[in-house]
Amino acid sequence: MNSGSVLGIFDSAELLVNAIPRVKAKAQGRLEAYTPYPIEGIDKLLGLRKSPIGGMVLIMGVIGAISTILFELWTSGIDYPLTTAGKPHLSWEAFIPIMFEVTVLFATFTAGLGMLLLLNRLPMFRDPMLSAKSMPLITRDKFALAVEFSGSDLDVDSITKLFQQAGAGQVEVIAKPAPVGAVSPNFFAGLFATIAVSCVIAGLLMYWAIKLFPVSPPISHMLVQPRLNSQRADGFFKNGFGMRLPVAGTVRRGAVSYSITSQENAAGLVNPYPRTNEILNQGRRTYNTYCSVCHGILGDGHPMLTAAYGAKPANLVSQQMIDLRDGEVYHVIRMGRNAMPSYTADLAENERWATVHYIRTLQRAMNARDDDIK
Amino acid sequence: MNKQTDKRLAATAALGLIGIIAAGLVFGWSRFWANWILWFLFLLTIGLGSLFIVALEHVVGARWSIPLRRVPERLSSLAVLMGPAALLALFSLHFLYPWTKPENLQNPVMAGKAVWLNERFFIWRVIGCVVLWAIAYWVFVSGSVRQDRDHNPSFNLRARRLAPLFMVVFGITITIVAFDWISSLEPEWYSDIFGVYIFAGTFLAGLAATTLTVLYLKSKGRLPEIKPDHIYNLGGFLFAFTVFWSYIGFAQYLLMWYANLPEEVLWYKERLQGAWGPLLLVLAIFHFLVPFFLLIPREAKSNPKFLFWTAAFILFSHWLDLYWMIFPVLGHGMHLGWPELSFGFFSIGGVLLWIRHSMSRGADMPVGDPFLREGLGFRL
Ligand code: HEC
Repeated sequence: MNSGSVLGIFDSAELLVNAIPRVKAKAQGRLEAYTPYPIEGIDKLLGLRKSPIGGMVLIMGVIGAISTILFELWTSGIDYPLTTAGKPHLSWEAFIPIMFEVTVLFATFTAGLGMLLLLNRLPMFRDPMLSAKSMPLITRDKFALAVEFSGSDLDVDSITKLFQQAGAGQVEVIAKPAPVGAVSPNFFAGLFATIAVSCVIAGLLMYWAIKLFPVSPPISHMLVQPRLNSQRADGFFKNGFGMRLPVAGTVRRGAVSYSITSQENAAGLVNPYPRTNEILNQGRRTYNTYCSVCHGILGDGHPMLTAAYGAKPANLVSQQMIDLRDGEVYHVIRMGRNAMPSYTADLAENERWATVHYIRTLQRAMNARDDDIK
Repeated sequence: MNKQTDKRLAATAALGLIGIIAAGLVFGWSRFWANWILWFLFLLTIGLGSLFIVALEHVVGARWSIPLRRVPERLSSLAVLMGPAALLALFSLHFLYPWTKPENLQNPVMAGKAVWLNERFFIWRVIGCVVLWAIAYWVFVSGSVRQDRDHNPSFNLRARRLAPLFMVVFGITITIVAFDWISSLEPEWYSDIFGVYIFAGTFLAGLAATTLTVLYLKSKGRLPEIKPDHIYNLGGFLFAFTVFWSYIGFAQYLLMWYANLPEEVLWYKERLQGAWGPLLLVLAIFHFLVPFFLLIPREAKSNPKFLFWTAAFILFSHWLDLYWMIFPVLGHGMHLGWPELSFGFFSIGGVLLWIRHSMSRGADMPVGDPFLREGLGFRL
């Protein structure tokens, strides 16, 4: 017999508890107690090692917390910064609830699954202890102390004697291999590793799929919804536009009052902004956004819209326009002219003047002279 | 009973009293009253928290805590002791509470709250709360002390029947404490969860004070039958309720931060400015992170010395929490100096003296409780 266990059956918990130190002193092999109800302090007497479950839970909880924070930082800070309710993208406040939940999730799953699967080796098909003859008694009113041995040549007789001296009413020897789980701990390690790796791979695949086929967004609740789209026709309003025009008389925030009514009178206005790189860039941005649709990217009055648009936008780089004073150009932007809309509501003061600067740049560039090249 | 300790405590309190009066004369009465409110609430929350622990035991029929019960029972006398302090604190109304100023009735928010926040109703509420607490003290504590002598189990029945009622009374009065004494310092502020927040701090303060006292008595050789198992439970409670406090505190902050409504965020804005912002960080560390990580290990929760200092630390953090809520209303930066210290000397010296004396009367355990044996046999 090279593995199994010797069971000493005691009549009371007290006898059992008293027997433990005596048996422990003499017998080698692992001690285990089987009792119908939990006995206070018995784990210390048996010298069972402290359960690692607490440490496991702590570690997994911390991993859950840290990985969630990193994930949230990456998604909302780096990969897909989405402004929500005007908050900064990296708002730690918004991360906390999710971090909290994931921490709890990791911790409880580790506690539950770790205890059942890793430490208790469940599911288990058979445990040789269950086939012990004294087992029915142990579940009722008897208390058993077991010395487990494996591989070593244990002196069964001396242990039997030891038990009897310690007050055991019965001694039973079970010659069976140590309990075997239906699946080995390695299996679970492998299973968890496979799940973890598949999660990562699936996540990456999903990520690339979305990047490669942007036409099929995975979640489209927000795209498909009844709403008015700007720049689109829509039957909701009477005029058939999806977009609303600003109410008459709307001015831009921080507007300065302007009382000049005719273009000639505006000729005296001086552009208050210097012609710096920054201002010219600002002018280009404004011009390309607001003016190029009608006047063309180059200012020559040949935009892509011409055919569809009835009126004829001015050629901004013609001599006639070069001769216009800054103030006159400004006045047109501010007040509009015939088919040209007014930009009172859309543009800020500095944007208007920057555009004037930029138009001058276009005029100079479109009327380049040979000696410019030298 | 050590006479010398008594003398020292009395001297500390007397020194504090002199400091208090001097502080009032030197720094003006607003700061004096702010200190008064701060220390009054600090002691009141300890008392109410202890009273809550006592009643909680009766509600759930807990046995393990019976051997410890005399401690929170004695501590809850603070709730009664603070009755006169609450009445005196009524003098602070005109110094600290903006809604008492008639011109503030122009303010639509304060005008809207005037139904609740007017002096007459306020005073009645204070009196009502004080009376209710005194009745609860009489029912649960005086009854329990009487049982020491007559061993009459009918007390247990009565306490069990009345404790659920007290839970309702407690829930309402603690919310009134929170709304009236603290949040009405800034009457334009709205927070519905504030009562729960103060409750979390109150319960934690009661637990920490109970733990401190139990461990102190045990170190002096009293309460010898208290096992590590009992102490472990106290540690577990402390751990759980630091988390609860943080949960509620953060829940309040998060929702306000998300909604970003002026009537909610201004309170925080004020308490994040200047030195108050770093203090909030310190509070989060002291009131949550430190006790949380200290109390995780099993050994920490049953090691008397370790738990003693952790509980003291939690109690200090509770004080800091109240300080952070109350003192910003004084404006002009952070006030922390000898006036606060004098109040501390006076309150802590006086209260320790009081508790020592009340703990020296009668038995250290509810010896008349029929379930005491069961409680003593408690094992984890
Ligand atoms: C909707 C099309 C449209 C847009 C957009 C537009 N314009 Fe015009 N613009 C016109 C038309 C049409 C005219 C000719 C008006 C006329 O003289 O009847 C014109 C004329 C002008 C003139 C000449 C005024 C004159 O004295 O003859 C200037 C300068 C001008 N636009 C500048 C701008 C600037 C700068 C912007 C951008 C802020 C802009 N336009 C945007 C249609 C447009």
